[in-house]
Amino acid sequence: MNRSLLCTLLLCAAGSIQAQSGPILIGEVAPLTGPAATVGTRLNKASKMWADEINAKGGINGRKIELVTCNDEARPEKAVACLRDMQEKGAAMIFGNSLTASLRAMQPLVKQGPLLLIPSPNVVPPADSYAFQVSPSDLHLTEAIAKYMKENGLNKIGMVAATDASGEVGVESAKKVFGDQKMELRLARIDLRATDASTQLANVAGQDIKLVYSSYTGGGAVTVVKSFKILGLPQPLMVSYGNMSEAFVSLIKDVAPPRLLGTSVVALVPEHLSNAGERSRAQAFLDAYAKRYSEKPDMINLLGKAEVDVAEAVLRKVSNPADAAAAKKFLESTPIESIQNQRFSPTNHVGLDASSVIIVELKDGNWVKAEPIK
Amino acid sequence: MNLLTQAVISGLMIGAVYAFLGIGLVLVYRTARILNLAHGESFAITGVAAAVLAKSGLPLAAALALAILIAVAFALSLHRFVLRPRAEWPAGTLILITLGAAFVVRGVLILVAGTDPVSFPVLFSGASLRIAGGVIPPQGIALVLLGFGGSAAVAVYLARTRSGKQLLAAAENPYAAELLGVNVERARLTAYGIGALLGALAGGLLIPLIAVDFQSGLAMTLRGFVAAAIAGMSPIGVVFSGLGLGLFESWVGAYLGALYQDPVMFGLLIAVALWQSRHIRFGGTRRA
Repeated sequence: MNRSLLCTLLLCAAGSIQAQSGPILIGEVAPLTGPAATVGTRLNKASKMWADEINAKGGINGRKIELVTCNDEARPEKAVACLRDMQEKGAAMIFGNSLTASLRAMQPLVKQGPLLLIPSPNVVPPADSYAFQVSPSDLHLTEAIAKYMKENGLNKIGMVAATDASGEVGVESAKKVFGDQKMELRLARIDLRATDASTQLANVAGQDIKLVYSSYTGGGAVTVVKSFKILGLPQPLMVSYGNMSEAFVSLIKDVAPPRLLGTSVVALVPEHLSNAGERSRAQAFLDAYAKRYSEKPDMINLLGKAEVDVAEAVLRKVSNPADAAAAKKFLESTPIESIQNQRFSPTNHVGLDASSVIIVELKDGNWVKAEPIK
Repeated sequence: MNLLTQAVISGLMIGAVYAFLGIGLVLVYRTARILNLAHGESFAITGVAAAVLAKSGLPLAAALALAILIAVAFALSLHRFVLRPRAEWPAGTLILITLGAAFVVRGVLILVAGTDPVSFPVLFSGASLRIAGGVIPPQGIALVLLGFGGSAAVAVYLARTRSGKQLLAAAENPYAAELLGVNVERARLTAYGIGALLGALAGGLLIPLIAVDFQSGLAMTLRGFVAAAIAGMSPIGVVFSGLGLGLFESWVGAYLGALYQDPVMFGLLIAVALWQSRHIRFGGTRRA
């Protein structure tokens, strides 16, 4: 009896040692194909780059990173299946690199852990959950727009938003922020399959509107920019953070309106980061990414970098990273150094805020800090 | 800017796309009795191929011509090497095969151009035309003229010419048509070729005003199907249903909002389907 108990204990201990000495499994749920593939592949590039770099240096505390990516095609039901599979495999944490609907579907499944890191601004995790958002929220991005408008003496804005879940989040943020600031919001929604945005723009871009904002991302944003150009509208057009990419710029460079603005984390223009550590980390990432992939990193890549920085801090500082409660406690009590430092607390699981956002402007194919609206 | 005028202009452009894609679907359906779910791929192939070829340094006109050829070749190959050898299979199975072909094209387009949207410059450049408070670019004018003109020309060709009637006869009763000297195989190849050419032209004209990616094809097939279904698969009807749908979609978007677009459009489709099937009993016989 005693001998069999001893054997069982020994087997358990051996299993535990094996679990803490083998590779660390990190799960990633990302749309690598389908309508949001452009987001998933960008975040996946940052994750892969991080895992390769860590493994090339011998891993973390002697343990290599095993990054397992599951393609959810931005479909919530697939995202849930991916997450469950990774939980069964014992993933230490999950990178939620998908879109709003998938992230919303995944969140309730991590009530007992593991950590779910979210780079999307559109999903704000509750503070009692194991989900942490490593970007500014959509509300923060909208607050930054309102601040820019205030600095330029504007109190009216035209907005074109998609009819999907992301567009809905953008509309909610806009109604709240601009409403609170007594600013007039003129809103038009655009269908995801739209082949023309001229009626939406005609609806919102009256002569009294000095700034038009499109919260659309990807191919739809291109349609908005091209329609804007065709209509010959004189106002600056502001596009959302998801469009701060080289691919987007190459698509619209010949049809860009007189002034194209955008929302971004400050790390996209690192010279405007006041913290020297953040500046050097952001610049180092931008250089390393460009060297590895031969393309300019964009806002989504930067959010991917913020995500892996948070993950790495947990893996290095928490003695058993698979212990979700310990990892949660660590994140809620320790500022995390990154391209823009992340600060979570027991009452807030959003790592960045409105001060981490900058309004940028496209000049000569590069995003720079936006100039005032004349 | 006048919202009503802009909504009319936008509606004409959207309607031209519906007509372009709808007539191609109708043509293939009326000739081969197959609903070709890979029809919109001719649009996507043209857009992606033209963008990639133009980016590689080929002159735009040459890139576009080559891209259209590739799209037409795809449609002809689909019929010749995939569907024709299985002509005796049930129609439902063949339709599923065309859906499979659409997904194969998606995969190939990802390999060729990646997942990001792509585009290419307009063929018809110059200042936009401003009429009654609305604006339409030269490329948009070309889209409207060729979209409605091209689909109307195909409808007239089918209804009024000998070879057009032979195409329709090939579907109505292929064995009788063959006995009367109609080359059924050539008729079907012609239908697939013309259908793909129209889809490719839609891509060549519309994509410079938007962007295209690997998944655009099925969305375009759906557009074409809605126009074709509302027209009851009638070649001339699809020109008018395309026009009506375009204007309707644009006005709903402008005055009710885009959130109402899908419920209204698909509600309309269901209403038309119910109206068209009012004489049909369960079991397929007509009511007295």
